[in-house]
Amino acid sequence: MDVYILAIESSCDETSMAIVKNGKEVISLVIASQMDTHALYGGVVPEIASRMHTEAITMVLEETLKKAQMKIEDMSAIAVTCKPGLTGSLIVGIEAAKTLALMYDKPLIGVNHLIGHIYANNIENEMEFPMLALVVSGGHTELLIMEDDYKFKKLGETLDDAIGECYDKVARVLDLKYPGGPNVEKLALEGEHNYDLPHPVMDDTYNFSYSGLKSAVINLVHNSKQRGEEINRADLACSFQEVAIDELTRKVEKAFRETNIKRLVVAGGVSANKYLKGEMQKLCDKYEAQLLIPRLLYCTDNAAMIGAAAYPLYLRKEFSDFSLNASSIGDI
Amino acid sequence: MNTIYIDTHFKNLVMGYLNDGKLICKKVLNSNKHSENTINMLKEILEENKLTGDLIDEVIVINGPGSFTGVRIGVVIAKIMSYTKNIKLKAISYLQALDLDYDQDINIGISDRNGIYVGSFDKNHNLKEDYYYLTNEEYEKSSIKIEILDDQEVDIEKIYKYLEDKEEINPHLLKPLYVKKIEVTHD
Repeated sequence: MDVYILAIESSCDETSMAIVKNGKEVISLVIASQMDTHALYGGVVPEIASRMHTEAITMVLEETLKKAQMKIEDMSAIAVTCKPGLTGSLIVGIEAAKTLALMYDKPLIGVNHLIGHIYANNIENEMEFPMLALVVSGGHTELLIMEDDYKFKKLGETLDDAIGECYDKVARVLDLKYPGGPNVEKLALEGEHNYDLPHPVMDDTYNFSYSGLKSAVINLVHNSKQRGEEINRADLACSFQEVAIDELTRKVEKAFRETNIKRLVVAGGVSANKYLKGEMQKLCDKYEAQLLIPRLLYCTDNAAMIGAAAYPLYLRKEFSDFSLNASSIGDI
Repeated sequence: MNTIYIDTHFKNLVMGYLNDGKLICKKVLNSNKHSENTINMLKEILEENKLTGDLIDEVIVINGPGSFTGVRIGVVIAKIMSYTKNIKLKAISYLQALDLDYDQDINIGISDRNGIYVGSFDKNHNLKEDYYYLTNEEYEKSSIKIEILDDQEVDIEKIYKYLEDKEEINPHLLKPLYVKKIEVTHD
């Protein structure tokens, strides 16, 4: 029998719902983005995000059902992102999901947002195991081996800042508007790698580090300003990006060499970065490995990935009870 | 007529079930985790009274003011119940609910750590001006007489009766009543 999951995602600044069939087919997906509002403040304001989720929640539900021409009665389960994210925002989605589960007597499935990003790769492609998974987002930078559905082995993670966070900070010192990451990427296209920036962790582990690189960029801009020197912003953006991504490719290359695994999935908001995609493709070509990166729609926050990640849990009947709560942290 | 009453605006989580305006069951829980407790409480109320979503005709929710997250929990639950099950939705502020016990001009206040939420009502329970928030400092300096009713319970049957002839709310449009401003600025 086909499994239809109604999935809800509200961990940051998108109110999103989706109906996903058998963990693979997106029957409908609605994303109400608050990006324009938060751009006014130069970043996501948590309280405003929670307020906007509350206002949008039933309208997003209506649109999701209408697009799919389905009813809640047709669903097999209700899935919701429960961690990690902004707790106030997560709670809006969680309470909505719990209310639906209670009103319609459906199982409730709490989903980890990061695992959702990984399963975004299962929507239009077929994930095969074992595979390497690189999770790169505003809050996380992790390299994992995935041996099977929901079977993770962490190789390494960031020791300080996440790569996405670092992009946002660099955007700020370069006077680029929110959302910072995509704007740094755009500016980098116009520049060349002319600035000598420190390479973060040159050790033999799988760990990452971004605070040193971030400080180096901030100091460089600051010192130039004090000396009254003009910074070539495009060159600095390009230099930063190449070093930041090189940090990822070095560790992924090490994993290819040492594990002999021939598949790589890249997940999380930063996977939308085209330079990152190009570098990972080169690496995969070199090691004759398969690269999976979701298309842009499924790279950024969306509920379809939550529906995809909920499916294996549904099959195993790993349901949540009504005490399900939000958490700002949520390791894989 | 089966009515569910939900109040998550402050520390006490309060829920009730009314049949034709008569309070059949009321639950109170001093909870600092409304997000873990509210749906469990609703489930208990439904089970104990042999109700399902399809048998509920009306939901009344306290839409604020109070803890931002707390208020949102009640409002989101009420919105989803109303929208999906086509349940009549009504909302009332906690200050207005307290005022139903007073047939005179009165300024009613409820306090949080930093100040007081105030509602000014006439003897017919009409709000005389928009709700406002006074910080503790502003309150000390002001000469306004405010009845601070932090420990007073509201009468759920009275709320039901007061709302009886009030129009129902479109669930898409129901918003929490925050009153207090948040401190962010932009260009």
